[in-house]
Amino acid sequence: MKLLEIQQLSVSYGAIKALHGIDLELHQGEIVSLLGANGAGKSTTLRAISRMLPMTSGQILYKGENLAKIQAHNVVSRGIAHVPEGRGIFPSLTVLENLKLATWTVKTKQLAPRFNYVFTLFPRLEERKDQLAGTLSGGEQQMLAVGRAIMTDCELILLDEPSMGLSPRLCKEVFQALQQINKQGKTLLLVEQNANMALKIAHRGYVLENGRIVLTGPANELAHDSRVREAYLGTHKHSLGNS
Amino acid sequence: MEIIIQQLLNAAQLGAVYSLIALGYTMVYGVLRLINFAHGDIFMVGAFIGFMLATTLNMPLVLMMPLTMLLTALVGVAIERVAYRKLRDAQRVSLVITALGVGIFLENFVRIVVGPQTRQLPAQLPDSVLKFGSGLIITEDKIWIILISLALMIILWLFVQKTLMGTAMRAVADNSEVIPLMGINLNRVIAVTFAIGSALAAAGGVFYGQAYSIDPYMGIDLGWKAFIAAVIGGIGSIEGAVLGSFMLAGVEVFTVAYLSSNLKNGIAFGLLILLLLIWPSGIMGKPLLKKV
Repeated sequence: MKLLEIQQLSVSYGAIKALHGIDLELHQGEIVSLLGANGAGKSTTLRAISRMLPMTSGQILYKGENLAKIQAHNVVSRGIAHVPEGRGIFPSLTVLENLKLATWTVKTKQLAPRFNYVFTLFPRLEERKDQLAGTLSGGEQQMLAVGRAIMTDCELILLDEPSMGLSPRLCKEVFQALQQINKQGKTLLLVEQNANMALKIAHRGYVLENGRIVLTGPANELAHDSRVREAYLGTHKHSLGNS
Repeated sequence: MEIIIQQLLNAAQLGAVYSLIALGYTMVYGVLRLINFAHGDIFMVGAFIGFMLATTLNMPLVLMMPLTMLLTALVGVAIERVAYRKLRDAQRVSLVITALGVGIFLENFVRIVVGPQTRQLPAQLPDSVLKFGSGLIITEDKIWIILISLALMIILWLFVQKTLMGTAMRAVADNSEVIPLMGINLNRVIAVTFAIGSALAAAGGVFYGQAYSIDPYMGIDLGWKAFIAAVIGGIGSIEGAVLGSFMLAGVEVFTVAYLSSNLKNGIAFGLLILLLLIWPSGIMGKPLLKKV
């Protein structure tokens, strides 16, 4: 089933066009990775989906519903959680308060199983649950940001560079957790500069360049595509669009 | 000794009123990074709403006080909605000037509606005179003002620390951009903040009117003092606003009692400068916490 369908989406920052009519779709249960260099439009795509940015044209359908008219704070209750770039945790709140705040739209009062789920996934968060989030390490903050997404009633999680600033070991830990979350039913749209990491856990991928999708396919094919290898996995940088 | 205790009670009463105003400054600053310069005038509006309810409707304090708080809260919410919301992403200076304009509007509005005279709220608190020991005389209303104010502050503290809405207010102060991603309507959190800040200022206005007199321009002086108190304590911090208020009131009351009433403002403002030299972000204010 198609969970998310983006058709001809364009987004502009003032006079500068950041996305030039992209098409993208996500099926339930998938991990889809959105790759590209800095400034290619990856974060813009996520921010458009969660309505933090207005779109210029095109449409975003989530379960068939057009998100264009929906305000940002109502996107969460539709089932979409967004783990923003730079994690976006609340540093002067405790870990527990950060997680609780994410249950704002959750109707049920039975939060214990949800907390347990997050704490099994990230035992470090339980150890530090009364600590101020600002005192956590970068990796722990990322875990908290993902944990917060799980606390909402989401089916789709948008992740913006979860590997950023993490040691390889912590990175692996976070990505293993993401894989586990996916196996337990959540659909993930993963924005990454670390293409290697992303394509290892993704089912499919899209490559963005200057606001256009230049390549798409199954993750293992992308991982072996010579153009992707050259541009994102190897050392040699050159544009896919011109090749 | 008796005189010192009496002066301490005077300071506590004034400090309670300052606190009730200062909390609004600090809370609005927390969520909007705005010094709401109209806040002193919201305090004045609260005092006059209380005055109207008590005089024209003969409402007893137990009814008048909550209703005054409610109506003033609506005024605060309306101001935010009409004057500030559209400017939220504009330059800070536009917001500050708008706030000053709203303040002047409120002063003149009240002056036209009720007149420029100085008024007195009918004394509604029990005001029997209590005598202790060798000559300590305390009027009961002072005790009530201090106790009810402290109760309101404790309720506020519990609300901010323990409820989800209170947590959201602290989260807005941390990082307002992420708030919608939690499914939280930022406008609602800001409106609730204005409502609470204005309601507390209204309580301060009613108490001030019980203890002293009220006029349409009372909010200017009192507003500045409470603002200073909030800055001394650390703007953005609730505990700081209360601490700063009682400190400032103490300095003022004792200056008047032992030095000269002419020196009151000079010493109060001098204290502000001195303390800010020692603690640039206020006594309990936290320097910006940034994680790389």
